[in-house]
Amino acid sequence: MRTIHWRAPAAACAVVLLAGCSTFSPDGGLDAVSSMTGARIGQPVSFKRDDAALRAAADAVLKQPLSVQGAVQVALAHNSGLKAALAELGISEADLVQAGRLRNPGFSFSRSRAGDEREIERALSVDLIGLITMPIRQRIEQRRFERAQVTAARSAVRLAHDTQKAYFEALAANERARYMEQASQATEASAELARRMARAGNWSALDQAREQAFHAETLDGLDQARLGAVAARETLAQLLGVTAGEGGFVLPERLPALPDTLRPLQNVEQEALASRLDIQAAKADTAETARALGLTRATRLVNVLEAGYINTSTSGEPRKNGYEVSLELPLFDWGGANTHRAEARYMQSLHLAADTALRARSEVRLSHAAYLGAYARARRYRDEIVPLRRQVSNEVLLRYNGMLASVFELLVDAREQIASVQASIDAQRDFWIAETALQAAIHGSGSKE
Amino acid sequence: MFTRRHFFKSAGAAAVSAAAVSRVGAASLPEAVVQTDARTQPPPAPGNGRHFNPVVTLNGWSLPWRMNRGVKEFHLVAEPVVRELAPGMKANLWGYNGQSPGPTIEVVEGDRVRIFVTNRLPEHTSIHWHGQRLPNGMDGIMGLTQPGIPPGKTFVYEFEAKRPGTFMYHPHADEMVQMAMGMMGFWVTHPKDHRFMQVDRDFVFLLSGYDIEPGTATPKVNTMLDFNLWTFNSRVFPGIDSMNVRQGDKVRVRVGNLTMTNHPIHLHGHEFTVTGTDGGWTPPASRWPEVTTDIAVGQMRAVEFIADAPGDWAFHCHKSHHTMNAMGHAVPTMIGVDHAGVAEKINKLVPDYMVMGDKGGSMDGMEMPLPPNTLPMMTGDGPYGSVEMGGMFTVLKVRKEQKRGDYTDPGWYRHPAGTVAYEWTGELAEPTRSSSAGGKLMPLKQGADLNLNVRKPSGHTGHN
Repeated sequence: MRTIHWRAPAAACAVVLLAGCSTFSPDGGLDAVSSMTGARIGQPVSFKRDDAALRAAADAVLKQPLSVQGAVQVALAHNSGLKAALAELGISEADLVQAGRLRNPGFSFSRSRAGDEREIERALSVDLIGLITMPIRQRIEQRRFERAQVTAARSAVRLAHDTQKAYFEALAANERARYMEQASQATEASAELARRMARAGNWSALDQAREQAFHAETLDGLDQARLGAVAARETLAQLLGVTAGEGGFVLPERLPALPDTLRPLQNVEQEALASRLDIQAAKADTAETARALGLTRATRLVNVLEAGYINTSTSGEPRKNGYEVSLELPLFDWGGANTHRAEARYMQSLHLAADTALRARSEVRLSHAAYLGAYARARRYRDEIVPLRRQVSNEVLLRYNGMLASVFELLVDAREQIASVQASIDAQRDFWIAETALQAAIHGSGSKE
Repeated sequence: MFTRRHFFKSAGAAAVSAAAVSRVGAASLPEAVVQTDARTQPPPAPGNGRHFNPVVTLNGWSLPWRMNRGVKEFHLVAEPVVRELAPGMKANLWGYNGQSPGPTIEVVEGDRVRIFVTNRLPEHTSIHWHGQRLPNGMDGIMGLTQPGIPPGKTFVYEFEAKRPGTFMYHPHADEMVQMAMGMMGFWVTHPKDHRFMQVDRDFVFLLSGYDIEPGTATPKVNTMLDFNLWTFNSRVFPGIDSMNVRQGDKVRVRVGNLTMTNHPIHLHGHEFTVTGTDGGWTPPASRWPEVTTDIAVGQMRAVEFIADAPGDWAFHCHKSHHTMNAMGHAVPTMIGVDHAGVAEKINKLVPDYMVMGDKGGSMDGMEMPLPPNTLPMMTGDGPYGSVEMGGMFTVLKVRKEQKRGDYTDPGWYRHPAGTVAYEWTGELAEPTRSSSAGGKLMPLKQGADLNLNVRKPSGHTGHN
């Protein structure tokens, strides 16, 4: 801390007046996060310091079988990770406010004695450097604050996408377990019939053992499917920020039906360019670098580019956040190199922004292709494979009616039909997950966020 | 019903050859007469040529001919046909002149016979005249005695019908496929003296087997023994006409076997003697009475009897699988298997499931939807309910009032009072049962506990 002695009380008063202009915003920056988030996840979000209303609305949603929007709503209200991200915003704002205030003037009094000589020193100290660098520090903190807002919004959007994905996984896992139960009923009937046929003297121990082994294997599959359903439910519960246990939430029986229409590629690419937060951040960074370049050209005194915030992390220790502004005295260097550097930085920022946009469009195209593919697959299952399987079952039943096929063929076919319905459910789930990934590619920071 | 069509005017697969042959002179060919009906056609008396007593082709017909300067001319057209196997089921077969089997050819001993054979199949064919004495080059063995008749071409066979008796015709080119598709026909050479071995009714038919998957119409041509439809003249019961005769008629039934297994043909209520084979008439001294005669593969038998017992008498192949129609040979036996509880479980998965076979194979008159173009396994209703038969089964109907030469179905037999089996309603004594299974020769080492497994009939309880 550099402190200089200041002996002019009048100047000190002026400084005090200046410092008084920085205050906290009424919403703590949350309104901006709400609007950023809401626009991207397709439902209104209202983050407030006091989120009792938000929680109450979420709790009301929890009383009904959960829809995918409902799940997102609950997660936004309850997820603790998101709350931590939002709290970070408060810290940033405090830093911002702090940056707009001068350090309190200090007064020091010392009395020393050397031999017989006594010296009494009175000093009034004022943070002059702080005063000079205040606009710069404020701008930096403003930017940090805005970044914190974007980060919070990104966390919220990511949470929404993760929740959607987990939601579809949980629903599909439930359906899978339910269908495995039906399959195990089919093998149970086969095994029981085989046992009774052996008892009646119509079947050998070999045939009976085969049917029973098959039943045991199906039961094993059922156990795994049930475990999978529990795991998927727990994952969802963690994201929702509620318990997976009794009374936590109720999932609907089925995945949502496939949509009738798909989103065209042209629209989603444009939407992504307008909406993606990483693109916005890159653009803001470029604008900021441009401003810094202008400032460097203008002042040549203040090393603005060095005034980036410090953000270092050492393993095992909390991340160090802060900023550093250095002020130079133009004795040897009149700032020519700094200007070159600033220009290079600006160009770098431009290229980075272009790169981000290019990557974003590529990701969106890839996600869109995956989305179309998943849709085609889910539709093929829904419109062709499952109906054909059903037709096969009807035909096997006709053959059973004519004593052309045995009851075991009927049961084997029932199992096969169940398996194809399961595959159809998986395809439907994969479509909704691909849809979520596409949303993430459009609105978040890419499918790999 | 005959439909006469001028063969070479009809469009179709043989258009190219038609043009080629018509240049030679269509006028030199007899008409190809086509039959569209699968019912038995009562025989007309021969209009020209030597007189004979015509045969009755069960669910078939005889081919008209024309006399051309003393030669009896026939025209057979080998072609794909749709044959009704029984009401409710049609098969895509290959045959002759609109039907499978083809029309019966009837000639008289000593007749000069000229047969035009036009091939409208997609592949070559030939005709072998099974059992005939003829010049070697007329025997119809493709590659050995003649080239195959290519698609669209017409070949001519000509020989003298030397030996009277019972014969048949069938391809000897791609024989396995063409016979599996139904290409065959009957041939009768009547004796010069029409009073020789004269009978009042003379029925003829061929035995053939088809493997037609339920829900399909075309036979599987590569099946060797596991056929699911066993036929008289490519018909299965209840699609086989009854043999209607007058009480006291001398009846002859001639049967040829073109399947790949033997058929013990069995008549109820009468004894018959085998009076002829494809080798000729059997000497009377060698005949003995029978009620079943086994007809081996590629053989023909003529059996004769006096139909003196009025009634509706079963006449069928005694291999019970041959009186079934399509069935699942791999279906496990369900007799005596308790379905309680399991049936409900299966019903949850397969809502239209019904327990079957736990009391035996009888379907108890259940009518359930089957695959299309498929006949129920055991079917055909008689006056007392289901006959539970299919395939090679028909009825000999002997009636006092049936007129000579009348082949119409007289309906079910009206039994005189007291001549039908009836239910005993008196007391039933428990029969004494043996407790020493195995006897003394090979006594069982362990006690027979099979009795534990025997499920005694207990009515209809506990079943769906």
